Amino acid sequence: MIIKQLIEQIEGEAFVSFDMKDDRVEFSTISFAHFRGMEMILEGKNVLDALVITPRVCGICGHAHLMATVRAIEDAYKNAGFKINLTDKIQKIRELTLIMEMIQNHFKWLYMVIIPELSKIVDLSLVKEPLKGAFSASIASKIIAIFGGQWPHSSYMVPAGITCDPTDIDIVQAQNYLDELISFFEKESLGVSLEKFLSFKSCKDFNDISSDISNLEKALISIDMHHKGFSHDRFLIMGEHSFTNVSKLKHTRTFKVNSKYIKTEEAYSPNEKTYALNALYNDEYYETGSLARMMSNSIPIIKNMHRRYKDSAYSRVMARIFELGYMLNHAKKLINGIDIYEKSITKVENIEKVSAKGIGIVEAPRGSLIHKIELEMGIIKSYKIITPTQFNIGSSTPDKPTPVQLAMKGLTKEEALFVFRTFDVCSVCTTH
Amino acid sequence: MLLSQDKKPTLIWLQGVTCNGNTHSFLNLSYLELLLSKFELIYLPFMEVKYSFFDISKCSLSCDVLIFEGTFDPLMQRNGVLLKDILIHYANDAKHIIAVGSCASFGGMFKASAPDRNSGLLYDGDDFIGVLTKLYKKVINLSGCPIHPEWLGYTLSMIANNKNIKLDDLYRPVELYSNLSHHGCTRNEYFEWKVDAKNFGEKEGCLFYEQGCRAPMTHASCNKILWNEVSSKTRIGTPCFGCTEPDFPRENFFKTKTNMSIPQDIPLGVPKRSYLTMAGIAKTFHIKRLEGKLIDYKTTD
Repeated sequence: MIIKQLIEQIEGEAFVSFDMKDDRVEFSTISFAHFRGMEMILEGKNVLDALVITPRVCGICGHAHLMATVRAIEDAYKNAGFKINLTDKIQKIRELTLIMEMIQNHFKWLYMVIIPELSKIVDLSLVKEPLKGAFSASIASKIIAIFGGQWPHSSYMVPAGITCDPTDIDIVQAQNYLDELISFFEKESLGVSLEKFLSFKSCKDFNDISSDISNLEKALISIDMHHKGFSHDRFLIMGEHSFTNVSKLKHTRTFKVNSKYIKTEEAYSPNEKTYALNALYNDEYYETGSLARMMSNSIPIIKNMHRRYKDSAYSRVMARIFELGYMLNHAKKLINGIDIYEKSITKVENIEKVSAKGIGIVEAPRGSLIHKIELEMGIIKSYKIITPTQFNIGSSTPDKPTPVQLAMKGLTKEEALFVFRTFDVCSVCTTH
Repeated sequence: MLLSQDKKPTLIWLQGVTCNGNTHSFLNLSYLELLLSKFELIYLPFMEVKYSFFDISKCSLSCDVLIFEGTFDPLMQRNGVLLKDILIHYANDAKHIIAVGSCASFGGMFKASAPDRNSGLLYDGDDFIGVLTKLYKKVINLSGCPIHPEWLGYTLSMIANNKNIKLDDLYRPVELYSNLSHHGCTRNEYFEWKVDAKNFGEKEGCLFYEQGCRAPMTHASCNKILWNEVSSKTRIGTPCFGCTEPDFPRENFFKTKTNMSIPQDIPLGVPKRSYLTMAGIAKTFHIKRLEGKLIDYKTTD
């Protein structure tokens, strides 16, 4: 029996068609009905305009799109024979604002999506406070705005630099907001200090605390989410940053990667029209995002979690929460390391001299985000965007399921709907 | 006096072709919880309230305040129902219709997704031919890509307080769109003395002459009510892209179009001759302080 389900609060919406057998999901397909044609909108324009247009692909992760665009343009410069030199300051500030966007995303996902959704299927009483997510995210956004002028839709990253020229007081303000956010995370979410949380080695360490996070952890266990929602146990991390280890993992084994193996193909959705494409690496489906990033960084608690519970829904949720702490800590190091006396921009040739291809890859909140461009005298001949949700939430045939299709298989419809959201889905990015 | 739940105005937030940027901008509002508590929330796309979109799409409910985000596409379907039918159903009953963002106001960024049919609620660019022109008396445009959270905060607060909102010719609140984005920019002195920014990445210099800044021609209070309560595009060296105006998005955002080295578009309402005279005189002066760095860190060594 086919059951069609509308899914909301995923940055837009999607339909999942469940093929149920004995009240369990035998197979599912996913469709995204809305299309905006961003790639078409970009064609024929000066590529610098992409710095304004691509952040508007997505309201929640547009900053990642900005960084993917600037990296793609800088790669095109290099491929055209021009040097791009980024000072340490440029790189640190770009990374910092990218991370802050990731943090605002994770806070919203935690409080506005995952806790409310989980509370629908558990007997334990979970406190639903969605506006905690908005409040904490707004502090992270302030840090972006100090350097980027505003969030969402900043365009402060430009080829070979950033447009801002921060002073000591900007750095102090950013540090203070970050301290406020860490304090919020400790008091409101964790129930322990960030330092203690980051030193956790085992899931058992959650037993000694009582907080939003420990309640969430207990609730996941109570409905057996540590034994459900398994996917391919394959992970992909393509964005090169100070906080990533670019690689693919099969179980726990790490392999090198090359972006030339990434491709997209038509989604399989016989019951509904979809505009989505599936993204694959070397013709295989991989999970991308927080669990992938934390796995590749060999974090003790994540390795321990994975050893016991593999790539279950539990691991996926808890890795994302751990990443929140990990990124807050990393952001602190980045801010402290900014040398305001370095240049905010370095010399760069006029874009009209650039006729070349370029690729920009970053880690967006939901995983690896890829922008590919082809320029002729600075004008966009083609622009291709591949987003994390295309990797995670593809819709394929039963013989070759995507990460989410495999993760939902065998579950009840209610469980499957929750597992769907553990990937943190972005509808607007998917169909851009 | 405690107001009973049923006396609060009811609110629905509906979306067309959008990136959700206005939603996420609004979530930054510092008094979000307080503001939302003044309404009976029927449907919001970003958090669970009374009804789901499945319920909304049946078109059997109603609301006092309808917020619409995104470009209107007459062929768009949501949950298998034409968006047009859903919009018109709720718009007919609503007392106030708020078009949040430039997409909903004028067509904006996603007019280009289907240029022959997509538009804002009242306007297609600056043509008054949108889908809700018959209901224009109820519509408030909050243009901007995205909206500033305080702009929607102000508008909803005025509605909740039963206050009249005065609008400009494009149905935008005069309170929010009478200022130019230029007002309050920390680079104003460089504008006055015609000292242009030599490059991006510097605090010094005005971005109007070379870098494409549209702040002197753009109705917005971005430098009066700061973004995320801390800054603005022009303060951190990014040009204003004119995102609150009906012609957004334009092209070549990072370059000022000039004729004989004079910006083609000059500050709003200033006669070209006056501008040229004033600019010509200002340019003849060389003010050493404005040609150097704003902060000379060396003096503190």
